[in-house]
Amino acid sequence: MANGTALEAKNLELWYGGFQALRDVSLAVPQKRITAIIGSSGCGKSSLLRCFNRMNDLIRGCKVKGEVSFAGKNIYAADADPTDIRFRIGMVFQKPNPFPKSIFDNVAFGPRVNGLTDNLEETVDRALHRAALWDEVKDRLHNSALELSGGQQQRLCIARALALEPEVILMDEPCSALDPQATLKVEDLMGVLAEDYTIVIVTHNMQQAARVSHMTAFMNMAEDRAGVLVEYGPTPQIFTTPKNKSTEDYVSGRFG
Amino acid sequence: MREAFHKELESLDQEVVRMGALVEQSVQMVTTALMEADKDLAQKVRDGDQQVDEAVLDIEKRCLIILAQQAPVAGDLRLIVAILRIVGDLERTGDLAYNIAKLVQLDDFREPSVKPVRGLVAELGRASASLLGKAIDAWATKDESLAADLALQDNKLDELHTELIRRLIDLDGEENIGPALRLAMVGRYLERIGDHAVNLGDRVRYFVTGDAEFLT
Repeated sequence: MANGTALEAKNLELWYGGFQALRDVSLAVPQKRITAIIGSSGCGKSSLLRCFNRMNDLIRGCKVKGEVSFAGKNIYAADADPTDIRFRIGMVFQKPNPFPKSIFDNVAFGPRVNGLTDNLEETVDRALHRAALWDEVKDRLHNSALELSGGQQQRLCIARALALEPEVILMDEPCSALDPQATLKVEDLMGVLAEDYTIVIVTHNMQQAARVSHMTAFMNMAEDRAGVLVEYGPTPQIFTTPKNKSTEDYVSGRFG
Repeated sequence: MREAFHKELESLDQEVVRMGALVEQSVQMVTTALMEADKDLAQKVRDGDQQVDEAVLDIEKRCLIILAQQAPVAGDLRLIVAILRIVGDLERTGDLAYNIAKLVQLDDFREPSVKPVRGLVAELGRASASLLGKAIDAWATKDESLAADLALQDNKLDELHTELIRRLIDLDGEENIGPALRLAMVGRYLERIGDHAVNLGDRVRYFVTGDAEFLT
């Protein structure tokens, strides 16, 4: 692949107290591409995603070993600043979670908190355009975000992440609460965003991974142990000729 | 999980084997009809072609339903792609047997001067039926090495075909022109049956390896 590496996990291990959730995971996420992480519930895919911007730090008893390198630095190094990392690596969650504020204020929230208030209107406009939401909300920017449909709320959350001009956007099952049409809109949007951003998506929907991603990582419970990366490769390969038998079984619905 | 879907895949897979056996039988029957100038047997081959055509249509429809409703991936997807290609080859092979049957009904190929090449035609017929049988076995067992061997065995068929044409050209006498032309067509059809068997083997190899080169 011509693109460089945006993020790279190296021998990553993660524990929640005594429970090990990731085991020796190494993978390189290519820049300006969509990387999907698939696997059955409890396999560690969301844990891996959250490692990419240190969201797991917020969980009590969480311990990480190994490295995640981003822009040439280990984000788990002692001198790394988690706030700066989350600034540059945004996240969109499963359930749309707009703040009970206006549409404008939701998008402006990040820039304001970070003191980036110059050209705020322009920043908000741009983020809403990029999130393919502008046309639907331009006449009601100061209405409550909670009036929006689920699909619109999710694109608002994407706009909120984009307002900080991140380099990477992590998406944790961003469409699981959306109807099929809203899902396809978000998928189309991901395709457009991948021209400028690196996207990592965790999804339960294998067909979604097949449709939207360039690279697919399959995680599995090996011998009842969670958190093993079984296979990682170009999406067309994973969905036509997976190398590993358990990948084959999982993507073709023979277990899971 | 997805048991109904996987049962349907298995059933389709077996249906291809069944259809392959039908076509193989047609090729064997038409060779016998040719050697024994049995026009009734030739008619049986012609009648049987409809069964093959119906089986193709049925298999193709079922594959399309699976593609539309089940979004198969990995080995399941390769199975459907391979089947869609294989039924085309089997259908074409059935047509070739049909064409030979028509020629058998036009001519009994028993003129004394044509006699010397009859043995060669019989050998070609047996070799093409045998190659087809092996191709179907390779599919039934998904045996890649058996499939890979087919191309080599097809060379023998090509040699027999070349030899047949050479001997037909050497035939003298105006009365032989008609039978010789028809036998040349028979030879060509049998040789093509061999090519389709090799194609079948390639689809088996595609299914097993995922290498798209075997789809060409």
